[in-house]
Amino acid sequence: MGALGHFLEREGIPTVGISLVREHTETIRPPRALWVTFELGRPFGVPDDAPFQRRVLEAALALFARTDGPLIADYPEHADGEVDLTGWSCPINLAPRPVDTLAAEIDRLAVWYDRAVAARSRTTVGVSGLDMPAAGRLVMGALEGALPPAQSLKEAIDDLRAYYLEAASAFPDPGTSKTRRAWFWDDTILARTLLALQPKLAASAEPPHKILANLTLIPATERHRLAKA
Amino acid sequence: MVKRLSDMPEVEANHLRRIECPTYDDTPLLGGKPLGARRVAIISTAGLHRRGDRPFQPGDGSYRVIPAETPAGELVMSHISVNFDRTGFQQDLNVAFPIDRLRELAAEGVVGSMASIHYSFMGAFPPEAAQPHAKHLAGLLKSDGVDAALLVPV
Repeated sequence: MGALGHFLEREGIPTVGISLVREHTETIRPPRALWVTFELGRPFGVPDDAPFQRRVLEAALALFARTDGPLIADYPEHADGEVDLTGWSCPINLAPRPVDTLAAEIDRLAVWYDRAVAARSRTTVGVSGLDMPAAGRLVMGALEGALPPAQSLKEAIDDLRAYYLEAASAFPDPGTSKTRRAWFWDDTILARTLLALQPKLAASAEPPHKILANLTLIPATERHRLAKA
Repeated sequence: MVKRLSDMPEVEANHLRRIECPTYDDTPLLGGKPLGARRVAIISTAGLHRRGDRPFQPGDGSYRVIPAETPAGELVMSHISVNFDRTGFQQDLNVAFPIDRLRELAAEGVVGSMASIHYSFMGAFPPEAAQPHAKHLAGLLKSDGVDAALLVPV
């Protein structure tokens, strides 16, 4: 991100960047940066809190007036930590049945996904162009047969993950984004399928499969947590 | 709350420490008009694009075009990294791409105007892969009258 600040400012476009990792910004030294302490993925702090987002935006835009850089301004406000819901369990019984499949799990979530889409009037599913049963079949096919191209698999998995987490946000007691992520990795057939798929991808002779296996399939924090468990 | 790397969980901090950051000679800062007379574009690195646009791939330093009138429901994310939260974006686009907030500031005259087109890269690019695209992008921004680029990571 900071590199773009250099590139664009040198081409005549004034820039201000949000910084999420101060140490990176201190190294790259872009022209102007507003450092925020928010979670990665949330550069404007709090979803559905327009006044909060606006304060961050105005603080960033105010830096255009400065030419004494490279500068990093510290944004003074923090996003509230999420409520600790230790012990939270998913109120919808998605526990695998004795004979259960990824396809059945995807089907069980459809009603909740539809509720989430209705509530927000939008969805972030739709990168792969596949419907969710087809995306599930692609993942199961990768586990049980020949590996499809890494890019197709990655897009299908990203869509499925978005579908699951959007669905979970519509549960009667949705918990927090953190508990929903834990639910995804601890309790779903999809996550177990991805964990089973990882070594197969890692063993592939194709470099894109290895990249997917080692870097872009399972979050580092989840890999560490699951390895310890 | 995330602070410095030293305050983060070790696994997450180590992941971020392993990311190689380029270094550059300092870039002189450009002056310009007061904010109320500037035209602002958002340049995201969240791997955002319209549903149906070409998804981002590893090593992809190119950008996607996001016209200002793009409905929120049309935007998806194909960032290759899984090491950041996506639930905030799923809940509210503006937590990662503050286009409604910028539109409000433009309507109130806090900023002069909002660009007609915004852009997204996918942040996990090697800088040298993005440089030619950024140079081209600067020309596009100028032709839209943009004199303030807000760079938003994810």
